[in-house]
Amino acid sequence: MSARLGTSFLVWLVVGIALALPAGLWLVQINMQAMTEDWQGRPGLSVYFGQGATATNIAEAKAVLEGQNTIESVRLITADEALLEFKRLSGLGDALELLEENPLPASMRAQFAEGVDGGVVDGLTGRINVLPGVQEVVVEKTWLERLNDISDVISRLSFVLAVLFGLGAVLVTASSVRLAIESRLEELRVLKLVGATGGQVRRPFLYFGAVYGFGGGVIAAMLIVMTILVIEPPLQSLLGSYEQVLELAGLDARFLIILLLVGGALGVMGALLAVRQRLKDLELF
Amino acid sequence: MTLGHIELQHVTKRFDNGHEALSDVTMVFPEGSMTFLTGHSGAGKSTFLKLLIRAEMPTRGKILVNEVNIAQMPESRLPRYRQNIGVVFQDHHLLASRTVFDNVAMPLRVAGLSEKDVARRVRPALTTVELDGKEGLYPRHLSTGEQQRVGIARAVVSRPKILLADEPTGNLDPDLSRHIMELFARFNQVGTTVIVASHDIALIESMGVRLLHLENGRIVSDGIPILQEAGPPS
Repeated sequence: MSARLGTSFLVWLVVGIALALPAGLWLVQINMQAMTEDWQGRPGLSVYFGQGATATNIAEAKAVLEGQNTIESVRLITADEALLEFKRLSGLGDALELLEENPLPASMRAQFAEGVDGGVVDGLTGRINVLPGVQEVVVEKTWLERLNDISDVISRLSFVLAVLFGLGAVLVTASSVRLAIESRLEELRVLKLVGATGGQVRRPFLYFGAVYGFGGGVIAAMLIVMTILVIEPPLQSLLGSYEQVLELAGLDARFLIILLLVGGALGVMGALLAVRQRLKDLELF
Repeated sequence: MTLGHIELQHVTKRFDNGHEALSDVTMVFPEGSMTFLTGHSGAGKSTFLKLLIRAEMPTRGKILVNEVNIAQMPESRLPRYRQNIGVVFQDHHLLASRTVFDNVAMPLRVAGLSEKDVARRVRPALTTVELDGKEGLYPRHLSTGEQQRVGIARAVVSRPKILLADEPTGNLDPDLSRHIMELFARFNQVGTTVIVASHDIALIESMGVRLLHLENGRIVSDGIPILQEAGPPS
């Protein structure tokens, strides 16, 4: 009994991992999509000043940006504020105390209004870039396009993994159900002899497959939740550095139910495969 | 339609290796008859029984059971056909993990009877084979003869019209063998067509029923053997 339970648990684990990977990637992809959609209409730019930039240089750049009707907001981060934030995020507070002077520059973050034309963004970028004291201007639009591409890659990767791992889950379940069939061959022969229908012979093994699949779905859900719990704090911190709040989309009751149903379906498919292969030509005595 | 009527018409069974287990066999088993099949190993007795339960298909010829050619029966009707045939094997094929009751109940549960009806039929079947009070035991707790009787009970519990037995007394002592054959005769008396394949010529001849002798897949004799009385020494 304990050996059988052990075998079942292994199958659940394999099916669970097979489901968790593509399901997890799907969650990542839809959350990335949500983030990029949120930022899409309101790109921003960051202005980084050189070490030698004066207060006048900074004020001039700020005035240029605030004077644009396409700019929604401008936020100045002084060198001291930048150092404080870096200490907080990096955890290197003690090491940073040893520095004689602040190596970080002042910076400014400007948020464009919604629906700003790409040409306007490029024009303003060029104008700010040549102001005295400005070292670098980074436009989030490029970064957003890259994020979109990454999201697309993840989406396709999760589809490919779903197919491959799904196939793996089906084969693992088929293998386990086949073992169950082999251990019951005598019983199956007697059943056929006394007039059991194909359905009566197959049905118990389809239930096996469903149980393996549902169990795998439960394990997958647990793995995903555990993973989120582990990565949530650093993720929260990373998003906070971009002034974003972590709002996890997709992990709801519907997702979990679908995970269980997909697991069950894969289990039944595996069982059908095993049953077709082994019982098709099962000989009587 | 006569139930339990079996007819073979020019049946040949050739296996893939070329061996011809039955060769142009024609025979009739009327409803309610009892027949013994004899012959050496490889004569075709077991093949004949397998053809009747459609565990094998004939290479040529027709096998009519209740006027239906079972060789052409669709797969979907096969379970129902087998529910009306009881089969007893030499090594009984009981399920070790199930009790005597559950072993005997299998055909009834497969047929969809309620547990109340199952219990109502299993107990009398066990009484018929003189295994009262043993329904809770497992096959490993029984003697060889008792196990064989459980196999017989399982074969007759659904009251089949046809009862087939393949060497049912092969592992048993003479007294027990006689007892088993008498059980078959009792089933035959209530109208079941009984066909028993057996090596035990002496026992069969003493039963005074039809005896079909097979050799190399052909019928070489068919009739009721006459017992020779021992005369005075010359």
